Amino acid sequence: MSTRKLYTLVTATAAAVALWLAPIPAAGQALPRSSDGKPDLSGVWQTVNTAAWNVLPHGAQFGIPAGLGVVEGDALPYNAEAAAKQRENFANRATADPESKCFLPGVPRATYMGVPFQILQTPTQISMVYEYAHTLRNVFMNTPHLEGPIEFWMGDSRGRWEGDTLVVDVVHFNSETWFDRAGNHHSEELHVVERYTPVSANHITYEATIEDPKVFTRPWKMSMPLYRRMERNIQILEYECYAFDEVLEGPLHRAP
Amino acid sequence: MTMQPAVNIVGAALLVAAPFAAELGGQTADKPMVPYGQLGGCSEKPAEFHPCAIEKAKTFTPPRMPDGTPDFRGNWARSRVSTDDLEEHPPIWMGSYDDPGGVTMIVDPADGKVPQQPWAKALQLTHRPTYRDPQSSCFLPSPPRQAYGPMGYQILQTPAGLTFLQEQSHAARVVPTDGRPHISPNILLAFGDSRGRWEGNTLVVDVTNIRPQIWFDHAGHFYSSAVHILERWTMIAPDAIHYTATITDPKVFTRPWTIAIPIRRNNDPNYELLESACIEGARVEYTEMGLKTYPYYGAKIP
Repeated sequence: MSTRKLYTLVTATAAAVALWLAPIPAAGQALPRSSDGKPDLSGVWQTVNTAAWNVLPHGAQFGIPAGLGVVEGDALPYNAEAAAKQRENFANRATADPESKCFLPGVPRATYMGVPFQILQTPTQISMVYEYAHTLRNVFMNTPHLEGPIEFWMGDSRGRWEGDTLVVDVVHFNSETWFDRAGNHHSEELHVVERYTPVSANHITYEATIEDPKVFTRPWKMSMPLYRRMERNIQILEYECYAFDEVLEGPLHRAP
Repeated sequence: MTMQPAVNIVGAALLVAAPFAAELGGQTADKPMVPYGQLGGCSEKPAEFHPCAIEKAKTFTPPRMPDGTPDFRGNWARSRVSTDDLEEHPPIWMGSYDDPGGVTMIVDPADGKVPQQPWAKALQLTHRPTYRDPQSSCFLPSPPRQAYGPMGYQILQTPAGLTFLQEQSHAARVVPTDGRPHISPNILLAFGDSRGRWEGNTLVVDVTNIRPQIWFDHAGHFYSSAVHILERWTMIAPDAIHYTATITDPKVFTRPWTIAIPIRRNNDPNYELLESACIEGARVEYTEMGLKTYPYYGAKIP
């Protein structure tokens, strides 16, 4: 818990309400372009919202800022069994949340952990490098998914351009990651379609459509802006969760 | 699409099992050291590779990026390198942990030994019997170990600089080449703070701010937070990199010292980096293996 509290304090200062932005490319405004004519999404990006605590609307609690939520319709379409599982997760979140074990955060959770990530763009591969847990995703462009079944923490990402929108199809997840610290969850049948639409040189509208027939009765969508970190000296640092003293002295590493 | 998952499983098993050789009673007899081959027209033995590669680099013209800098893009991995010990050591064949044996990776000083201060040598010798190699506890392979860890890495080259995408621990190391200064010494990072620059066809990377939580090898050679590493990456053939790292740490060593190794390009057109999560499964491994060594919390620098 101490690691988590520390993290809460660090990120609380950066939190604000989520804005709904329509994914409309800015008319008449020049987007940065890469050499192949596609929008250039390179740079260091970060969300400014409270989805890390709860993707749904929630009031403030000690150490947790209030948030309007990032989910279209303000509710998740759980089936009955999955809804019960979420309530159980919530009750046990202090120890059950994979974040408390320093596990890789999964997708889309990695996007809104409250620390920045960097996009490195080439025509054939777009890599996303996250400060959280030092993890990465390689989005291979215009290639088929690996043949499953495979259970990755961060999934298997395949990208394509639809106009000025980068569309990333992600499958091959395990059932271990959550969407947030409120116990919202999925199964290994999770299928995420992300859409990154630049709306200015310094903003991207991020949308993620979630399908999981074992857990949800229908697809649902979350949406939030990504903001470019404008500091001239910005660089990805590290949040090496498992390497903190508090974690090393905990059950994860304790001498047998 | 690729055959990598099987390779990854083997790699992960090695990663976990490797440091426990002594604990599990290593059987090192019977088989000889795996022979060294050739890379880029040079012997893979560091003492021979190093001077040979310096000569090759004088005449080799590397592929170029549009901006004229050498093009290092692609998938790479250590060539015939044994990291059980940076110094010369015999092979270990246990089945659960195999090491091919190796000659020293140290090209300076000439005796091939890590120039540890006496107290540091005494401490280092306690490491393997007492602790798990921190790499097996899933700590990131800090430079220079990033270059010679057990799994491969992809080098991306973009306007942001060069980025090493590591299969091991599924992590990324970004090396800006825009001349920005190092970050504050208040910040220590597992991969350190890397600043790249070009000297002719050589990528020179200055690394500081390294968190001293990893060893150079399974033998427990270590450094302090004062360590400064100067890496030199030079392509000497289309599929070969000459890598050197000069290590300076006046708290631990009596003088700066240098390792040199060959790095080989992976030319498999179907190769893709996959996910090698580590800490997520580590507890199971420790429990099932019944280990009695302890995690390593970092060098105890007097």
